[in-house]
Amino acid sequence: MNRMNVVGHSVERPDAYDKVTGGKGYPVNVKLPGMLHAKILRSPYAHARIVGIDASRAEKLPGVKAVLLSRDVPQVKFCPVFFVPVDAPSMVLDFDVMNGEVVRYVGQPVAAVAATTAEIAEAALSLIDVEYEELPAVFTPEAAMQPGAPQLHPGAANNVAKNPSFVAGDVEKGFAEADFVFEGVYETQRQHTCYMEPRVCVAEMDRQDNVTIHVTTQHLFGTREKLAYALKLPESKVKVIKSPYIGGGFGGKLELSYMEPIATLLSKKSGGRPVRLEQTRHEDFITTTRNPIKVYLKTGVKKDGTFTARYARSVLDCGAYATHGAEVIMVHGAFGLFFNYHAPHTHWEGQTVYTNNMIGGGFRGYGAPQGSFAVESQIDEICDKLGLDPIEMRLKNARKQGEPHPFNPAFTIATYGLEDCLRQGAAKIDWPGRRSARGGDGVRKRGFGMAVHPVWVSGCMGFPDIYEHSGAIIKLNRDGTADLASAAMDIGSGQITTLCQIAAEELGLPAGAVRMSSGCDTDNVPFDAPTHASRVTYSAGNAVKAAAAAAKKRLFEVVATMMEVSPDDLEVANGTVSVKGAPGKSVTVAEAAQRAESPFVQMTAEGPKETTIGEKGTIVGIASLSPTSNPPPCAAQFVEVEVDTETGEVKVLHAVYAHDIGRVINPAAAEGQVEGGFQQGMGYALMEHIQFDPETGACLTSDFLDYKMPTAVEMPRRIDSIFIETDEPSGPFGAKSLSECCVITPAPAIANAIFDAIGVRFRQLPITPEKILAGLGKL
Amino acid sequence: MALLNLKEFHSPRSLADARALLDANEDALVLSGGTFLHGLEARGLLSDVEALVDIRRIGLDAVEIDGAGLEIGATATFARLQAVPEVGTEAWLGALADALTYPPVQIRNTATFGGCVAAACPFFDIPTALLALDASVDTDGPDGGRSLSLSELFMGLFANTLDTGELITALFVPRPAGRVASAFLKLEGNANDLAIVNAAVRLSVDAGGVCTDARVALGGGVAESTLRIPSAETILLGAKLDEATLRAAGEAVADDISPMSDHRASAAYRSALAKVMTRRALERAVARLS
Amino acid sequence: MKQMIRLEVNGETHELAVDKDATLRDVLRDQIGLNGPKRGCDSGGCGCCTVHVDGRAVYSCLCYALSYDGASVLTADGLSTGADLHPIQQAFIDAGAVQCGYCTCGMMMSAKQLLDECPQPDEEQIRHGIAGNLCRCTGYVKIVDAVKLAAERLAK
Repeated sequence: MNRMNVVGHSVERPDAYDKVTGGKGYPVNVKLPGMLHAKILRSPYAHARIVGIDASRAEKLPGVKAVLLSRDVPQVKFCPVFFVPVDAPSMVLDFDVMNGEVVRYVGQPVAAVAATTAEIAEAALSLIDVEYEELPAVFTPEAAMQPGAPQLHPGAANNVAKNPSFVAGDVEKGFAEADFVFEGVYETQRQHTCYMEPRVCVAEMDRQDNVTIHVTTQHLFGTREKLAYALKLPESKVKVIKSPYIGGGFGGKLELSYMEPIATLLSKKSGGRPVRLEQTRHEDFITTTRNPIKVYLKTGVKKDGTFTARYARSVLDCGAYATHGAEVIMVHGAFGLFFNYHAPHTHWEGQTVYTNNMIGGGFRGYGAPQGSFAVESQIDEICDKLGLDPIEMRLKNARKQGEPHPFNPAFTIATYGLEDCLRQGAAKIDWPGRRSARGGDGVRKRGFGMAVHPVWVSGCMGFPDIYEHSGAIIKLNRDGTADLASAAMDIGSGQITTLCQIAAEELGLPAGAVRMSSGCDTDNVPFDAPTHASRVTYSAGNAVKAAAAAAKKRLFEVVATMMEVSPDDLEVANGTVSVKGAPGKSVTVAEAAQRAESPFVQMTAEGPKETTIGEKGTIVGIASLSPTSNPPPCAAQFVEVEVDTETGEVKVLHAVYAHDIGRVINPAAAEGQVEGGFQQGMGYALMEHIQFDPETGACLTSDFLDYKMPTAVEMPRRIDSIFIETDEPSGPFGAKSLSECCVITPAPAIANAIFDAIGVRFRQLPITPEKILAGLGKL
Repeated sequence: MALLNLKEFHSPRSLADARALLDANEDALVLSGGTFLHGLEARGLLSDVEALVDIRRIGLDAVEIDGAGLEIGATATFARLQAVPEVGTEAWLGALADALTYPPVQIRNTATFGGCVAAACPFFDIPTALLALDASVDTDGPDGGRSLSLSELFMGLFANTLDTGELITALFVPRPAGRVASAFLKLEGNANDLAIVNAAVRLSVDAGGVCTDARVALGGGVAESTLRIPSAETILLGAKLDEATLRAAGEAVADDISPMSDHRASAAYRSALAKVMTRRALERAVARLS
Repeated sequence: MKQMIRLEVNGETHELAVDKDATLRDVLRDQIGLNGPKRGCDSGGCGCCTVHVDGRAVYSCLCYALSYDGASVLTADGLSTGADLHPIQQAFIDAGAVQCGYCTCGMMMSAKQLLDECPQPDEEQIRHGIAGNLCRCTGYVKIVDAVKLAAERLAK
């Protein structure tokens, strides 16, 4: 591919300087004059009827400015997930902020207090008397679907909130045609996103019901839409301020939490004073999680490894309210289980089931890790049984470049580097040499494993009920720089950097000459879908490129009048516009921008001189558009592990990734995302697990002492990232997307490597040292 | 930090002042490093605390090592001990040196020896090491001072035998005679974790390599307190420290423990690991003997 | 009732009226207005609040402010003044170790403690030196690279 000036280079993050000198731009730092502090009173019961609440003692506590009870909260049910319309028919509209009647999980809000200090607010909570009548609770989907189980929501028979399915071909015929049929049950656990910045907001609601909110969010406009709906306000009454950056999201800040409407209503009740509500880490742990899914997977294969039929049933525990669980199950079935490989006959049944557990949330991979763990583990089981090569088996069933997209045949898989990913990744870890390196007679045994994620998304183009468009405004400054304004949130993965690079490349400006505006809010920038679904580089990147192209068109018009040439004859590079083929004749972007904004009549030595209408007016470009496709990125992963067969500890020694993400916009940022993705995927594979008391439903792992995720010590000493660059025609400068494949592959790759090391297959995550010892028959 | 009934915070400058404050308020809690205060508070164990008495400015942070042994002031931090050259070089202190490598630097810089043992947390590392080293504590109480072995100090999960108003002033680790080495090992969920199981041992041998004295201690939820393992010590005593002996000593620990099951590990796993960790700690100590 | 303490923070002396249960972190953030020490948990679990007290890294969320009367505190906000960054700060930028950045300030303070004590650490020493700090974005790869880079530059 042709080398570019800005795209494809590891340019420095514009936000890095501030972040190493303290970091001003996080919502957690927002402090406003007169600000109050709020705390939420949460249910201690997993399922109970609220008989009565008396907050009179709390209201009298000095320093308390407002107490919020359900009667103060508009009683509406909706879907709080940002990326769908608030009343999306494909979602489940069961969420409420505070209903005053029943609580369905430990931690559900029942009241809230705003006071002059957080300590007073906390103390006031203990003065609110709530009388509960405990109801029978149910904590597993299996039990919840049994006849006679407590029914959690009206209209959800047997507690099934949603049960999607699809059929292609005749799966029974496919199994009959198979030489072998493999079956297995694969279970995954609750994992927390563990963003480092807790969820926090500062909200103001004045006496005319104008709302302004600063908030940790992955979606500016989703926050506006859902908050307005929850408060029964017109959307335009709600202004959501874009924070320069967010301290991590990973899907954990992808829906309206309770805190935004509660803080806003407390502001109104306290006469319009700003109210800050910062969740404790405990509250973070009990309010968003990756949904656990149990997958019953059955696969028919020919002797050579060709799939003849694939069937799965997936049971998702969505907890007390459906929220993301209604969509996670869909992505899981499609992109976690069936879009990845060809099979002539497929059948899938999904069930999203209510329980009295905590509600689910978004998390990088969004249903796919749960599916991929099943599929990629079972492929390894098939290869082991039939003596097939795991790489060739996957390629035999894989999709090919030029084929129609499995999701929407109107889209073509225009670029697809899966085979190169497999070949180059295998070479990097010396896959052919693994037989001699594995095993060992000692206590510690080594093994190698691999997994792929063959088909993932670049945003949500084509998905029912899911927003997918982006907007951008670009303005050229008189010093030759440009301001980019966009609602796309930078949650840490470098969105600001990559979008500025795309704009600079298109505008012919040097890296660093395009700056992301720091003053964006829902009033002054166009809609953008959330930072999720690996979409920002591809989708927002396309909009930014289009806005830059529009600004460039204007730039050429201005220069054309200045130089008295045709705009079509101009080109721009390094901040200089010149005539094609005549580089000596040029005008800088700064000169053009100055000319465009200069007084119409200019005083010269020869007297007043008019400029032209054509060159007048600030050079701006605006775009708001959807992408034209949904090109699949893909990845292959290889790992080497060492298992201590006396303690059960697993050490990952080496991880290799090979990705096709299209054109890489910023190599260092891309590597960084992949390396971080491995930390999350490895944690999922080996240790991370939100656990509850099986009797009470109370969370047992709600701080970092009890919820373990990998530190620098547990991580492999070597993570290699290979990028197989393809040139995606629908993407900005050939880019597809990156964020999520790298989180999906580690669990099955590690499970496969453990099998290689010790010959024991684990189908339940996390694979803890205790499970290893039990699997070895040592417990 | 949410001590809901906290009314007073004191930073006395002498032991006498601290004594007076503790005598005056029976709901006062001695604060030293304070790094596990949140852990105890989150378990609802500190809800009655009305006053904190920070003892870090009353001159109890001295560390001295001589022929008799190692004396550690109650408020000496872990980092302070790590800076004592002998801790890193003397084989008899190997268990302490090992245990000090596990906590993250922020904890090592803050946590103190007195606070660490007073917390009576079976999931801590230092108490297991100190138990294997025969450490004792000196206290100061309303009725004067006394000396207690660690086994006498630990009364159960987060419970010690100190009287109301009694505080630890120093710890003493006696220097054993002859050829001695000690070692400590830990199994943890990640590098900033409480112990799932930990093990500390101290071995003395004569010129012929026969074990003349043995200490084995286990922690990390193998019982409600960190505890000594006499059945393993009995096997070691008088034996040649060969592979079979170490293995047998490891297997024997099952007799002396009553592991708990919790969200971190089952009793069965802790039991299995107690054997492995004991044997590995013994192997480490034996390696240091040569 | 508040009690008075004196803190030297990033070279400036502050006389502060402090609540009896205030943590050092909250005093640094809310009373002095610093952003470097961040709240990620309240239990010494994440390391985002790491600062130096009298030259040593601590979890400021576990420190009662009243215990630190007279102490000298250094936070990431005070690692450098003027246009030039501290070599650790510059190395974090140059190595690509900053993503969401929420862990960065605490991580740099742990790195500084390590490099103060051990100017040429090997990879294992670096990894153990930052084991009390969690990061969810980077997989620690470029953070370890940054500490190595800082060590090299500080040696020159």
